[in-house]
Amino acid sequence: MRKYWQIFKISFQEEFAYRLNFILWRVRNVFQILLTFFLWSTVFVNPNTVIFGYDRAKILSYVFGVMIVRALVFSSRAVDVSTDIAQGDLSNYLLKPVSYFKYWWTRDVSSKALNLVFAAVEFMVLYFILKPPFFFQKDIYMLITFLLSVIIAMFLYFFILFVVSAVPFWAPELGWGSQFLMLIVVVEGLSGSLFPTNVLPTNLQSLVLATPFPYLVYFPVQVYLGNVTGLDLVKGIFIGIFWTFALMFFMNWIWQKGLKVYESIGR
Amino acid sequence: MDRAIIVDHLVKNFEVTEKEPGITGALKSLFSPKTKQVHAIRGISFAIQPGELVGFIGPNGAGKTTTLKTLSGLLYPTSGFVEVLEYDPWDRRPEYLKQIALVMGQKNQLWWDLPAIETFELNRAIYEIPRRVYEENLKELTELVEVEKLVNTPVRKLSLGQRMRMELVAALLHKPKILFLDEPTIGLDLVAQQKMRDFIYEYNKKYNATIILTSHNMDDLIDLARRVIVIDEGRLLFDGALEELVGRFAKEKIIKATLGSEDNIKEIEKIGKIKKISFPEVTLSVPRSTTAVAAAELLQNFPVEDLTIEEVPIEDIIRKVFKGELKQ
Repeated sequence: MRKYWQIFKISFQEEFAYRLNFILWRVRNVFQILLTFFLWSTVFVNPNTVIFGYDRAKILSYVFGVMIVRALVFSSRAVDVSTDIAQGDLSNYLLKPVSYFKYWWTRDVSSKALNLVFAAVEFMVLYFILKPPFFFQKDIYMLITFLLSVIIAMFLYFFILFVVSAVPFWAPELGWGSQFLMLIVVVEGLSGSLFPTNVLPTNLQSLVLATPFPYLVYFPVQVYLGNVTGLDLVKGIFIGIFWTFALMFFMNWIWQKGLKVYESIGR
Repeated sequence: MDRAIIVDHLVKNFEVTEKEPGITGALKSLFSPKTKQVHAIRGISFAIQPGELVGFIGPNGAGKTTTLKTLSGLLYPTSGFVEVLEYDPWDRRPEYLKQIALVMGQKNQLWWDLPAIETFELNRAIYEIPRRVYEENLKELTELVEVEKLVNTPVRKLSLGQRMRMELVAALLHKPKILFLDEPTIGLDLVAQQKMRDFIYEYNKKYNATIILTSHNMDDLIDLARRVIVIDEGRLLFDGALEELVGRFAKEKIIKATLGSEDNIKEIEKIGKIKKISFPEVTLSVPRSTTAVAAAELLQNFPVEDLTIEEVPIEDIIRKVFKGELKQ
């Protein structure tokens, strides 16, 4: 356990060593929020507009919910893993008595902790500037369920990331491309961070809800907003847990295969 | 335990995708990738005793690094048997990993933007080194490689030589019993090379550590390795004492003669290949089997004042090894 605490600390320090990088990543996040905010503000410029069951207050609550959940789920250091494999730097870890997965999980958690602090500050600033009608969840039971769904989302994202990152074991040159396709196109598109999943037609919606992606952002935000209750809530949590374990086993399997063909290149 | 490392009929193949040059080539390889089997190691066997310092030499692409990576558990052997300290390296058990280190001259583990001390602290935690032992090892190692004043400087501000020595400290904090060194002096200036060699020598003596060293640096081998293993194209060509390498592979001997006069000095090339003439000294290279005859002829037909017969310098043989000119 102590070794992972040390990893947490050094990782935290490194984020500060790359100060500019970190700031730019936060700026990107703020812009994304602003973009979504103004997009929906324009759509709902008439206060009586209701689209897909969302009025202005609801959609803006959603957008701000996304901001916090994104900071927790999507901030990750493990995006470097595919480069590690392609360039042979993975060897450094394989040589040491440390679990590679736990190592990156620890680094992710440290990154999430740091990002959460910044996201909270940004949230407050944007909240006072834009004065959106934000919904504050006061039900302790719902808050606990929200926390649980966020934890599921963090594990889900981690496993998705590690599965995608395994591509360079077989095709080192595809590392960046596969990550872009998966993380930027599929994950961003289907997770609910650009638009709430329930604006989709019902058929498509139930299809998307069967995939792991909406459990990254859409579902936790809906839980927070109190829009999912009762059986739907239990069902959602279970689908999330199912995907978490399925992806974990898949990740282990694919990594076992990958490490056998790993060439430890770079020399 | 009388064997620290056992390698028996080790074979390692890689699949390599081939690509023709240009855009058409790229498209072709996208739709019908052509793969080729590369035989990096084709069945080598050797055993190493605890405390031995072995030089592992061969031309580029001979399979040296691949062997070291297999021994340290990074690569999975295609076939054959490998055992290090009675462990199967590929299992990568923590108890095993705590006893080995692989240092690659061109790969680094130090965190680039942080001072080296941070990486050391991290390794202390990862290898679960007790605080007191860690402090002692750190002091000893940094003093040995003379970097104790630099541990708080961000790594990116260190020179290559300083960084290499820091890398070594990071790799040795847990006092590995087995050390795989891949080109440890590559890119270092002469003084830094010598420091590195002194250090490796000391470490081997002091801790009775087993060390395998690959190098293209002649001095590394001559100074450090008593025993050498020569491999080429994935096959073992020689395994024995460094001095025996000469007897085994040198097809010639060197005759050095001091002549009394320059009379018919031109004729001397009939006896053997002239390597150097600077009167009165003449150096000839003659086939091993006819050395005695050549020497006798020289004594008979030329005004020889002094004559010695020597082995080909070890450097020449090693140079041939690097060029891949040694064949069975």
